[in-house]
Amino acid sequence: MNDDHAPHISGHISKRFDSELEDIRNKVLSMGGLVETQVKDGIRALMTSDSAVAERVGNDDYKINAMEVEIDEECVQILARRQPAASDLRLLVAILKTITDLERIGDQAEKLGRFELELIDEGSSSKEFVKLEHLGELVSRMLNRALDAFARMDVDVALKTIKKDEKVDKEFESLMRQLITIMMEDPRTIKQALRVSWCARALERIGDHSINICEYVVYLVHGKDVRHIAYDDLKDQIRDIV
Amino acid sequence: MPEDAVNKTPDAMTDFEKIEGTIGENLIHNPKFSTRNVDVFYDEKQAIFNASLDIGHNEVIALIGPSGCGKSTYLRSLNRMNDTIPSCRVTGDLTLDGENIYSKKMDPVLLRARVGMVFQKPNPFPKSIYDNVAYGPRLHGLARNNAEMDEIVITSLQRAGLYEEVKDRLNEPGTGLSGGQQQRLCIARTIAVSPEVILMDEPASALDPIATAIIEELIDELRENYTIAIVTHSMQQAARVSQRTAYFHLGKLVEVGETNQIFTNPRHELTENYITGKFG
Amino acid sequence: MNNTEIVKQSLKRRYAKEKRFQLYGKLAVLTGFVFLALLLLDIVTKAIPAFETTEVQLTIPLDRNSLEIAEDATLDEETLRAINYGGLIKKSLRNMFPEVRKRKDKKELYSLASSGAEFDLRDKIIANPELIGGEPLTLWLKADDDIDTYYKLQKVTSRISEKQIAFVQTLQDNGQIRTSFNTTFFTASDSREPEQAGIRGALLGSFWTLLVTLLLSMPVGIAAAVYLEEFAPKNRFTDFIEININNLAAVPSIVFGLLGLAVFINFFGLPRSAPLVGGLVLSLMTLPTIIISSRAALKSVPPSIKEAALGLGASHMQTVFHHVLPLAMPGILTGAIIGMAQALGETAPLLMIGMVAFIVDVPGGMLDSATVLPVQIYLWSDSPERAFTALTAATILVLLGFLVVMNAIAIYLRKHFERRW
Repeated sequence: MNDDHAPHISGHISKRFDSELEDIRNKVLSMGGLVETQVKDGIRALMTSDSAVAERVGNDDYKINAMEVEIDEECVQILARRQPAASDLRLLVAILKTITDLERIGDQAEKLGRFELELIDEGSSSKEFVKLEHLGELVSRMLNRALDAFARMDVDVALKTIKKDEKVDKEFESLMRQLITIMMEDPRTIKQALRVSWCARALERIGDHSINICEYVVYLVHGKDVRHIAYDDLKDQIRDIV
Repeated sequence: MPEDAVNKTPDAMTDFEKIEGTIGENLIHNPKFSTRNVDVFYDEKQAIFNASLDIGHNEVIALIGPSGCGKSTYLRSLNRMNDTIPSCRVTGDLTLDGENIYSKKMDPVLLRARVGMVFQKPNPFPKSIYDNVAYGPRLHGLARNNAEMDEIVITSLQRAGLYEEVKDRLNEPGTGLSGGQQQRLCIARTIAVSPEVILMDEPASALDPIATAIIEELIDELRENYTIAIVTHSMQQAARVSQRTAYFHLGKLVEVGETNQIFTNPRHELTENYITGKFG
Repeated sequence: MNNTEIVKQSLKRRYAKEKRFQLYGKLAVLTGFVFLALLLLDIVTKAIPAFETTEVQLTIPLDRNSLEIAEDATLDEETLRAINYGGLIKKSLRNMFPEVRKRKDKKELYSLASSGAEFDLRDKIIANPELIGGEPLTLWLKADDDIDTYYKLQKVTSRISEKQIAFVQTLQDNGQIRTSFNTTFFTASDSREPEQAGIRGALLGSFWTLLVTLLLSMPVGIAAAVYLEEFAPKNRFTDFIEININNLAAVPSIVFGLLGLAVFINFFGLPRSAPLVGGLVLSLMTLPTIIISSRAALKSVPPSIKEAALGLGASHMQTVFHHVLPLAMPGILTGAIIGMAQALGETAPLLMIGMVAFIVDVPGGMLDSATVLPVQIYLWSDSPERAFTALTAATILVLLGFLVVMNAIAIYLRKHFERRW
């Protein structure tokens, strides 16, 4: 859309500052990659009832947490030593927030694995109740797009991704209605159905966090805080700036 | 120079050509100082190109930009300090409370009494602390007797936050104070004349961080009573003390805006580059 | 071999070079000192005799008969002046050496006493007329300069005969010859007789001349410097003036003398040899020095002080007179004093305007004929009498003393009034 408006990380007089920023950005991207894998594995575990995958998802979350702490520390160091301003400041603030959201997405993925394990232990599977594939696919694509938008600082992609939230909400609601129907029909399934609803809930949260990341991208590029704004207003505001 | 810029692609344009006009809120409602289309020349060399900027009542405006960008020249044209340089010529409309400061009716001496100035290097007179502060009021006959003069001197020193430190040695030379104290003495000397506007030309560039912090705190307090324009090389300082920030580049006023906006989300590429430390 | 070793090797050479250079410097300074010391030693040793004078004890008969005054004559000044004092001294000398008979020997005997001695005697009698008719008066009178030179230096010259040496020997045996402090040197003016000559006239001449110079060149010089430095527009004309002032400082001083002769004496008709004209000429000569040093002093005032005053609303003139000038004053005064010292030591231009004349009277004002110390030195150094050599050296010492004092004042002013900023 407007490449010349996107902040350049490089070009500082201090080349070390350039490489520090580049380094931290790469770390965020690789953390994003890790989170994406976790989410995909979580969803796969749900789909295939593969206990091995589910277990791995549950165990690998510590890697994400460790990365969050590491990036956090680097950000603080840059803030203290470089006193960044303007786009550099926005980049660091966006990174600090993005990694929080990534870490939470990681937590949700871990939950997916854990709930699936519990379902498997009880000799059951989410497949028996509702089709989570669609929601999972939707959310996983949103996360992918959000990370893509972040990597390329692409506001267009970010805005399109934010728009997808409505779909996720609708999908989530319909899933809930289905689960409630199942529970009303056969109260013995309530325990498992609740677990499945929690999984759906976790997927929906992943979508929300992905949207947050997209909003940070908008902030990073345009310096405009677009959280808690209706989507149509948001588009108008972005147009104003551009 | 700028005429043949029209047909060039953005990448081929020089920085000078990239600045087409001032971005942001350079003009405001009910300004204290108003400058329109200001050009400043040193002989044939033009130092300021068509700068239009308003300075509001009781606001601190920071003028930032790389060395030689004309910010000091602009500042010094506000109280006609440029008059002392014979080769310097200022054109455009510069008004203080609606009065043209470059008209024949405006006496530069009166103007400088209304628009005080604090300089980069602390420059107390080699006289006593008391005489340093009393010089301006004496010059303009602001005190009718010694008691009034004492009052003015003490109030000014208090306002400059220096009185407690020097009250026992008012008769000692001002040059014996530390750098930060000297600069506060210069500020006291300036406010002793009760100016309406105070211009500060890098007032803390020769001071250590603590003295700088004290001066910055002082600037914030002075804002209640004065309009302040400050030129600074320290972007952090501009960010800390000012409400509005103006960015000069190659003699042009590139961007003016709320300090918060300039330092988080500048609109012009050159401002962005300067603030983030990317140049060239 | 690594770098440290290479550096180590070259280090020795570098230090040796450094030491050598320091040695050259020390040698240069030492040479300067040696020459200065030699010069001073020479002058001082030559000058010492001038501060002493040889006196001969004479017994003067004071009865009216010897004085050839009638018994009933009143002792008014006219009568007293008419007395043949020279004859009295000769008589007294004859009494001391009754064996001298020949006319030629007598003449040599008479030349023991200074030819000015009779005036000293006259002044004494006029001051104390009651002595007349009383006991013969025994008093010390100045010896002739050749006797003086011989007695003080114990050196035989062509100007003294063997007879005279014998007379001096006799006097010495009788204790009738002595040396005492030469007050005449400071109280008298120029004279043909070295023992009667002094520097008072030249000192006062220098004083009047310098007073004129000071009164003229200080205000004019400072005013010109302030105007040129602070107010004058910077254009070709002021550049031209500046270059000319700098060139004037390098003009040989005798040219100023010629100018003074042509303008002040021939055109304006001012009196020759007058300190007024001397002062005018020396003012012309010192003005460039004062202007240049004052401008340098004004320039050295930091512009920040000027800006501070202007920024407070002081006018240009107030800024200059409240801040710039006071801060530059020590420098200006130093320059002025150095200029004055230069004027004090100047001879050449004064020769041109006639201050080289032989002047016995002490000048009482700026229009009286006068000479100045350096010219007096020049005059005496040219005189044939040996005793003038000592006088010349003594005068040089006095002049050097004044120069040292003036420079000391300049240093004091600079140290004392210099403000830090």
